[in-house]
Amino acid sequence: MPQRLYRSFQALLLLALCIYLAVKAASGQLTFYINLRFVPFTIAGTIFLAILAQTLFTEIRRARQLALEYDDHDEHDHKPDSANLWFMLIPLAIGILIPTRALDSSAFATKGFNTTGPLVSSNSTAQLLGTESLDRNVLDWIKIFNYEKDITPYLGQQASVIGFVYRDDQISENQFYVSRFVIACCAADGFAIAMVVDSPQAQTFEKDSWVLVKGMISSMTLNDHPVPVIQAASIQSVPVPEQPYLFP
Amino acid sequence: MVIIFPVEKTAPRPLPKTLIITVLLVVLVLVASSMIPLSVFSGLWDRVNIFATVFLGIFVEAIPYLLLGTFASGLVEVFVDQDQMSKLLSNRPVAAAVGGAFMGMIFPVCECGVVPLTRRLFHKGLPLPAGISFLLAAPVLNPIVILSTAAAFGWKEMLFWRLGLTFVVAVSVGLVFSVEKDMGNVLRPVLTLSHEHERDHAGDSIGEKIRGALIITADEFFEMGRYLIAGAVLAAALQTFIPQSALLAIGTGPVLSVLVMLGLAVLLSICSTVDAFVALGFIGTFSFGSVLSFLVFGPMVDIKSIIMYSQVFQRRSVAYIVLIPFMMSLVAGIIFNYVSP
Repeated sequence: MPQRLYRSFQALLLLALCIYLAVKAASGQLTFYINLRFVPFTIAGTIFLAILAQTLFTEIRRARQLALEYDDHDEHDHKPDSANLWFMLIPLAIGILIPTRALDSSAFATKGFNTTGPLVSSNSTAQLLGTESLDRNVLDWIKIFNYEKDITPYLGQQASVIGFVYRDDQISENQFYVSRFVIACCAADGFAIAMVVDSPQAQTFEKDSWVLVKGMISSMTLNDHPVPVIQAASIQSVPVPEQPYLFP
Repeated sequence: MVIIFPVEKTAPRPLPKTLIITVLLVVLVLVASSMIPLSVFSGLWDRVNIFATVFLGIFVEAIPYLLLGTFASGLVEVFVDQDQMSKLLSNRPVAAAVGGAFMGMIFPVCECGVVPLTRRLFHKGLPLPAGISFLLAAPVLNPIVILSTAAAFGWKEMLFWRLGLTFVVAVSVGLVFSVEKDMGNVLRPVLTLSHEHERDHAGDSIGEKIRGALIITADEFFEMGRYLIAGAVLAAALQTFIPQSALLAIGTGPVLSVLVMLGLAVLLSICSTVDAFVALGFIGTFSFGSVLSFLVFGPMVDIKSIIMYSQVFQRRSVAYIVLIPFMMSLVAGIIFNYVSP
């Protein structure tokens, strides 16, 4: 591939990547892939991609002028590897052709699924003690049940959590899990946590549908560990939250 | 086509056709499967979705860091001249390796960005031991990663052992390479793209220099991005089909648990700037020594960095760069497990 053509494709691909990331950032979907904490870096990278594309477009124009002025034909001795360009099409193809979908229960088989979560440092639980029980998310409750030696003070507290529905054969028919994925860095390190919901109408909610569960906290034993159970007073269907994952 | 490192006359390297074909096939399968009614292949479609999400997770996360590394490489190319570099660093192996290990404090790059930058520094005359120890140490011994590790683990043992062990491993591998005097035996020849790379930038204005640096950044972003993408495809595919629980279930003994964490470090392929937060999740399930070995080995070697190394180094050198840190991290992790279980 002649160098000038290579440069043009390079600039177009940089621009395409930049636009793709900008659209994802604008729609708030970057958090489907990475931790909220790293979104600013990706946005900075997106701006830098725009600068690179602009530099290459200017360079192409300049090279064209030079070629006209000096009748410069020495370009042909450079043969850049066009495979570089093909590879950059892969993320664009995957990103554009496959609809955006947050990790859900279909990933449990490979990514793991936990009701006790050996996942977060205990030093962050201290702050949880002071929080309002209604403000705690699934991760907070799992942390409390993992790291507090005595959980009795928490039993009977009111909880309100959002998550998606999952079932397995460890729980009874009038129960389901309300679960969330936890992402430390990006979707590659995601793993699922879940707490049990107890409700007579448990069967009416479909797997992977998102629900807001309110009710009283109690406890049950699962895999020899005490896990939090919500005695549901109300269960509402809700849309997928803007940030589907929790961040430790 | 310009060959920078002296090598015997070779034919132009053929395109890795198999790689391209594999990847194109993957894309084709993805596209084809998106046209089939979802209900028929819902299980397969789920896999495809997981693959896409994990792949884009790794890729999107890595983009800013790869850009940072390639931009640093571009800046070095236009602002640093070779005489300065050779004056800056000693040719004595130990001094060079130690100096190289600390260069990450000036160039804060992670494992994606460090590869193009190291290659550039070699081109500018950096001694081999210094470059190798920079390559292995910089993803940890740099301000950003030190702060993120401290944020995850506090200014405590885990941070200090991580820094100390990384330093020891990087310097050791650097010294191993000091035996080799001929760079051509270690590095693959570089095929440069544009006139920017061979021009003398000394007389340019600042604006011209920045422009030159940006063009090199773009070129290297594509050249290295290709291997990042190949690595991310592989890592995402493995994660889509190999259950993590299978790895975690292998064992928690003093030796097996270290092996499991080393395997996980390679499989997850996450950036060193953030891996401390991931490692935090394993405290409790895994011993101090196992998590420490994850934190030391992960930034040096994972699926995407192996693929990127093999672009820059000869195959035998890649083997040294991968295996020596593996053995040292393994031994360190096992010792910790026996001393403080």
